[in-house]
Amino acid sequence: MRISVVLIKILEYMFVAGWAGTVIVLLLTGWEDVGTLLDRKDENSR
Amino acid sequence: MSSTSNSPTGNNRVRIVVATSVMLTFISYWRAAAVILNDLGSSAFYAGGIAEQAIGKSAPWFVLGVMLFAFAVRAVYVESCSMFVRGGVYRVVKEALGGTLAKLSVSALMFDYILTGPVSGVSAGQYIAGLINDTISIADAHGLIPSAVHHLFNGTLQVGVNATAVVFAIAVTLYFWWQNIKGIEESSEKALWVMQITTVMVVMLLGWSLFTLLKVGGHLPPFPTLANIHYSEESLGFWKHSKLPHMFGILGLIIGFGHSVLAMSGEESLAQVYRELAHPKLKNLKRTAIVIGVYSFVFTGLVSLLAVMLIPDNVRMKVYSDNLIAGLAMNMVGPQVLRLAFRAFVVVVGFLILSGAVNTAIVGSNGVLNRVSEDGVLADWFRRPHKKYGTTYRIINLIVGLQLFTIIVSWGNIYTLGEAYAFGVVWSFVFKTVSMLVLRYRYKGERNWKVPPNFHIFGVEIPIGLASVGMVLLSTAIVNLFTKSVATVSGLIFSIVFFAIFTFSEKVNRRKHAHNAAQMKEQFQLQQAESVERETVGIRAGNVLVPVRDYNTLNHLKWVLDRTDTHEHDVVVMTARISQFGSAAYGLSTEQIFSDYEQTLFTRAVSVAESFGKRISLLVVPARDPWSAIAQTAHNLESSTVVSGLSSKMTTAEQAFALGSAWEAIPEPKRQFVLQIVQLDGIVDTFRIGPHTPTMKNEDVVLLHRLWLNLTREPGLENVHHHDILTEALTRFAHDYGAHDREDIVKRLLSHSTDGDPLPVRRIADQVDTVQPRPARTDRDDSHPDADPSGTPSGSKPTGSE
Repeated sequence: MRISVVLIKILEYMFVAGWAGTVIVLLLTGWEDVGTLLDRKDENSR
Repeated sequence: MSSTSNSPTGNNRVRIVVATSVMLTFISYWRAAAVILNDLGSSAFYAGGIAEQAIGKSAPWFVLGVMLFAFAVRAVYVESCSMFVRGGVYRVVKEALGGTLAKLSVSALMFDYILTGPVSGVSAGQYIAGLINDTISIADAHGLIPSAVHHLFNGTLQVGVNATAVVFAIAVTLYFWWQNIKGIEESSEKALWVMQITTVMVVMLLGWSLFTLLKVGGHLPPFPTLANIHYSEESLGFWKHSKLPHMFGILGLIIGFGHSVLAMSGEESLAQVYRELAHPKLKNLKRTAIVIGVYSFVFTGLVSLLAVMLIPDNVRMKVYSDNLIAGLAMNMVGPQVLRLAFRAFVVVVGFLILSGAVNTAIVGSNGVLNRVSEDGVLADWFRRPHKKYGTTYRIINLIVGLQLFTIIVSWGNIYTLGEAYAFGVVWSFVFKTVSMLVLRYRYKGERNWKVPPNFHIFGVEIPIGLASVGMVLLSTAIVNLFTKSVATVSGLIFSIVFFAIFTFSEKVNRRKHAHNAAQMKEQFQLQQAESVERETVGIRAGNVLVPVRDYNTLNHLKWVLDRTDTHEHDVVVMTARISQFGSAAYGLSTEQIFSDYEQTLFTRAVSVAESFGKRISLLVVPARDPWSAIAQTAHNLESSTVVSGLSSKMTTAEQAFALGSAWEAIPEPKRQFVLQIVQLDGIVDTFRIGPHTPTMKNEDVVLLHRLWLNLTREPGLENVHHHDILTEALTRFAHDYGAHDREDIVKRLLSHSTDGDPLPVRRIADQVDTVQPRPARTDRDDSHPDADPSGTPSGSKPTGSE
């Protein structure tokens, strides 16, 4: 039981830390995506 | 030049040029997004219902969380594609973690792909059965069902939802099995069309839902806290009797997230379409990722949210758990007939997109298994082409067999299927992301983009973004192992069985390939080339290209060799190694492209050439579509003629049309060539590929000539030419077609083509008076419409077809 609790705690920390980092990923890539969408110079409209 | 006799290499081996780049027709990012969304978007039809069954009313928040997280997973795929043009799971895991884990990851991916079919087919069946039952109930409530029917069925007639779903899923799977055996192409055109219709439905659904919310109001689902998560009996799996899930708040979030993760299945398709994206590739890939991200967030995420807000609690899970969007349609404000009609539209769209996903599952699995088979991981026996259709029918049979087995075993239980499906989805992502992390340190090649943010400490890169995505995926996948007992057991059994097959096959193949390689080295010398060029193959312009596929039908090669002076015109025998959808995502080595089958095929071709005492050059090109391969090879090699055998599936005109369409897709400038199709009875049909002077019928020539005679009598038109009249006539036709007479022209042409009646040229010609030409007058048109370009084998019987 104790091992399970420790393992679950580790998984929880991983999940929370992962999400914290993912939010940064989403903000940074989201900002980049705006630039990608606005840059329509070489858009292939086929 | 490679030849059957004297090789420039100074030995008796025949040189074969093996092109390693797959010949593709490139697609825009809109089309690429449509192809992916056909798989990714289909999960909107069942993901919300499955998640709510598992964790209760707060499920839509988790689905929205998954759709948000999917943006980050897409970033991982963009990075992998920026490293490898073919950056699918197998390639990336093999590069990072080696062959064993690559086989394991492919086993998980296969589980995902194979389950896509049953889950989509069953879901479509559930929507259809739900519509039938509700329509009957409403008709009954309005007294439209005769009482005799009531007596017959002891009440209102209702079809068994699960049984109907099973029958439907089996029927759709069998239909696409046959289509894949025959070798249909994955059409981005069709995908785009399906997504256009789906978009109409989504816009209507969202608009109507918002209107309903404004009219009757609604409550947001309860926020995802431990108190609001209500686990169902099945949703805790091995932890069913444990206190653990009720002790930890965040664990509850992970469990909820794990039950919703199937909403982002289909991401792998991003790596598969990358190879086919038009220039600029990386930017277009990012655009594709944005389009599919926003679309699936709005469709899957918002629809799940609106379903909880608008469908009353007492019927949502009881009646509509397996067809949530249908439930949403039925709970809008408005007349019942209109709501029922919209529900029917939802079912039609669901049928289209989910059936498409069934096909994608077969095509995708076939592509992945072909790829591992080409890598020697699956026995060559599986890759033997179908005698008539040339497809890898044994792999298709295996996939469809497993899908049918899954459908029957699950007996239409979409929840079980969905839960199992999530196993493949999440573990293939875990393998992919962990591999990408490893490659941050091991891979030294070109990398055009990285998942942000990245920090450097003492010169060592710390990939914060990539590691974060990996941590979320890994923690979810591990918790899923405990909470999804059916998925864990079935997924592990499936993966272990596939892994064992792969490992055993690889050992057998290694021994066999060593023997074959030695044998091949005595006979052939393989020369690898990135692309097909005339110089690489060592031939002159104006050559004759002979595509071959089946070593039992080489009549057209014999026909060419019989009529061609190979001192004047080179003969190139080519075979297109067809890579199914998905295979293009992986790199192929020379030995993979030139397999046992190609060896046998070319051995036969060489012996035919030897029997004529003539030289031939041999060429293998990997391609997605044989027609594109032939058109592009003919273009690259500056061939004057392509001589083909008659297809078992198409008429000569259809073959010519397919090749013509592939030729149209080649960017300018491009060369025209002649296509000759040799039939079994020796009759040869000749077509010109590309714009060319049409073969004119006699009555057309008569009419033109009479018009010319008349016109030259007009003052000032003495020097007019026949072609001037044609120019004027075509200009007028183009003007009329572009303006008011378009419909009339189309109608007339259509009636002539369907009735088989010729256009009434002769009648018109007869109405034009014949006048005697002036003796000294000649028209100096010097082009002859039937002039054959050099290099066309003589002796053909042109049919005048165009």
